[in-house]
Amino acid sequence: MKKILSSLFLAVALLTFSEAVQAQDRYVSSKTHIKFFSTTPVEDIEANNYASVSTIVPSTGDVVFSVPIQSFEFEKAMMQEHFNNEHFLESSVYPKSKFKATILNLDEIDFTKNGEYQAEIQGQMTIKDKTNTLKEWGTITVEDQSLTVSAVFDLVLADYGITFADSEMVATKIGKSVEITITAVYNSK
Amino acid sequence: MKKRKVFRIIAIIGIAGLLVGGGIGLYMFNKPHRDVQSAQADYVLTSSQIVAEYLTDYQAANQKYLAADGNSKILEISGEVSEISENFNGQKVVLLYGVKDRAGVSAIFTAETNDNLNGIKVGRKITVKGVIRSGASYDEDLEMYENVILEKSDIVKEENN
Repeated sequence: MKKILSSLFLAVALLTFSEAVQAQDRYVSSKTHIKFFSTTPVEDIEANNYASVSTIVPSTGDVVFSVPIQSFEFEKAMMQEHFNNEHFLESSVYPKSKFKATILNLDEIDFTKNGEYQAEIQGQMTIKDKTNTLKEWGTITVEDQSLTVSAVFDLVLADYGITFADSEMVATKIGKSVEITITAVYNSK
Repeated sequence: MKKRKVFRIIAIIGIAGLLVGGGIGLYMFNKPHRDVQSAQADYVLTSSQIVAEYLTDYQAANQKYLAADGNSKILEISGEVSEISENFNGQKVVLLYGVKDRAGVSAIFTAETNDNLNGIKVGRKITVKGVIRSGASYDEDLEMYENVILEKSDIVKEENN
């Protein structure tokens, strides 16, 4: 009886230990949502992208997002065509945008412990052929073997050479600054 | 009297022009998205073929498949199902991946076509049709190969096995 009890105890202890969160080398996410939102007195414009890929390396704090531009879906077909064309995102020449960044306060984030952490992320945002430095706060939620990243920030389109000068109609409809909302769920790889 | 008549004709033509112009403008503004599934496929190929094409010459493949207005080529791609998942929009995502390939084709279905994947299991050979959004390439920052992305996909053929 004693033997059974002690082996049971050992089994439970082992099980608990093996379920403890372990930091992974690298997390990969292909379950992502990037929302583009622009508000003007005339109209709100929204586009959604569910096809981006992202990685996080806990040991270095490296965060990368790769965003296929043609995957932004607008409610109106015409808006989507304008968004892609040569005056705006020029998506057939620059099919992807990239954000390559590092977590600045890496020591405040424990990837081995479940919880919600505020992360300050700084890096290079490349849209078309223009690259700018971006520094924003986001939330990293650690839950067992997966991570969730969420962030909301503004982008000034003129910083990427998107000025609307060539198309009056869309110029009046998309604000100069757009709000980007990011959510990504990562699994360890 | 004659002057008045001329004025009236001009006014009628003007108003008619405005109505037609406005109508066309409104139609353009509200025109629906292209119906990918009812359109004919531009290219028919295997997942291994398109991946190889992209990994050989990324620029050339982009020129061939991507359109400036985002209405890129409609492809019919066959391959072996290696994974079925769901994205944040509730759409099923099927990954077609050749055993010897370094990247695959990620086909995103729609609310309307999701159910057509019922019963499709990993290992099954299927053919999907969808619009290409981006190609396959090795990304040195991600340190991984990215898949070809197809959207508005549906299954057009399944092999019995």
